[in-house]
Amino acid sequence: MHIHITYQSAPIYEQIEYQIRAQIFSGELKAGEMLPSIRMLAKELRVGIITAKRAYDDLVGEGFLYAVPGKGVFVAERRPDDLVSNKLGRLKEQLREAEKFARENGIAPEQFREILREIMEEKDERS
Amino acid sequence: MNGLDIENLTVTYKNFSLNATLGVPRGCVTGLIGRNGAGKSTLIKAIMRQQDATGRILYNGLPFRGNEEGILKKLACVYDAPHFNLLQRATTIRNLYKGMYDFDEELFVDFMERFSLPPKEKIGSYSLGMQRKFCLILALCQRPDILLLDEPTAGIDPYDRGAVIELIQQFMLDEGHTVLFSTHITEDLDKIADYIAIIKEGRIALCEQKEVLCDSYRLVQCPELTEKMREGALGVRKSMFGYTYLTREREIGGENVLVKVPTVEELFVHLTDGEERK
Repeated sequence: MHIHITYQSAPIYEQIEYQIRAQIFSGELKAGEMLPSIRMLAKELRVGIITAKRAYDDLVGEGFLYAVPGKGVFVAERRPDDLVSNKLGRLKEQLREAEKFARENGIAPEQFREILREIMEEKDERS
Repeated sequence: MNGLDIENLTVTYKNFSLNATLGVPRGCVTGLIGRNGAGKSTLIKAIMRQQDATGRILYNGLPFRGNEEGILKKLACVYDAPHFNLLQRATTIRNLYKGMYDFDEELFVDFMERFSLPPKEKIGSYSLGMQRKFCLILALCQRPDILLLDEPTAGIDPYDRGAVIELIQQFMLDEGHTVLFSTHITEDLDKIADYIAIIKEGRIALCEQKEVLCDSYRLVQCPELTEKMREGALGVRKSMFGYTYLTREREIGGENVLVKVPTVEELFVHLTDGEERK
């Protein structure tokens, strides 16, 4: 498992959650694999204990991880419907970023749409 | 449960009084912030009984009164200045501590090596960063449950600060351990604190979980300050390009209005600013 924290944008627990999810989707973290303890995670990432706990709690709540009292936190079997909804969320986020960039740099909405269409057509041609 | 319950801990000087009530959650790192002279060091000294005070303190639920000797062995403190003779060698001070505490000698050797502190040299020849690390090592080697730190990262370079933070986090791997940590370097708190306590004129103004506290406010940057925004705006700062303020309001928005969750530093600065101008 590898996680990087940046101190700019999203809350730290979200950054941890997102990166653990991504590694479960990519198969880097395998079902049944044990994750470091909350306190170890906090120490290694230089974040608060409650922050680390929040990240694990959220991921347990979403069903990505499960906790065995007295033993530790483990990666759950992956669920395909989560996979789709998670990626859609991310895609929307990235498009929103792109839209914001366009707006801030004086690129007209029509032009933005046109660029998006071009990109998608390029992709169609290739496949 | 709280590692420390501080109830009406009172110290009275000629022109300053401390009257603190504070719960320091067990298993967590609590950051104590406040302006110079707000009473941070006095509070820490009073907890360590290095300062006469009235009031009540509980250690993991157990009252100090009647159990003080045993409890003080489970508390270790790094004061804002080294409290031993700078002309002594590190090993001499170690021997002194061995006589007073259940001292972990192996850990001492390990830490001294890890932080490249020469044990045979006089403490006075150490740099400020080395002295800070040495004080923290001495505290940790007493095998405490509760660590009190008075500005442990003040005046030291970023590399050494990282080392100090790492030591604190290593101490926290044991869930029975508790840290109370006063600092002006709020960046350290943004990283590792679980709770934030703000002390103001000798009183604890608030103590809350860090993320809950920061998330209960918003830092707003906007080109114009509308009447609606002015209501509930704390510590408004005006620059050539617009306004920055803190608020508890959630429904803020508009063209070119930037809204974000404040850092501990932004929170502290704007809250203090808001009060100074009242």
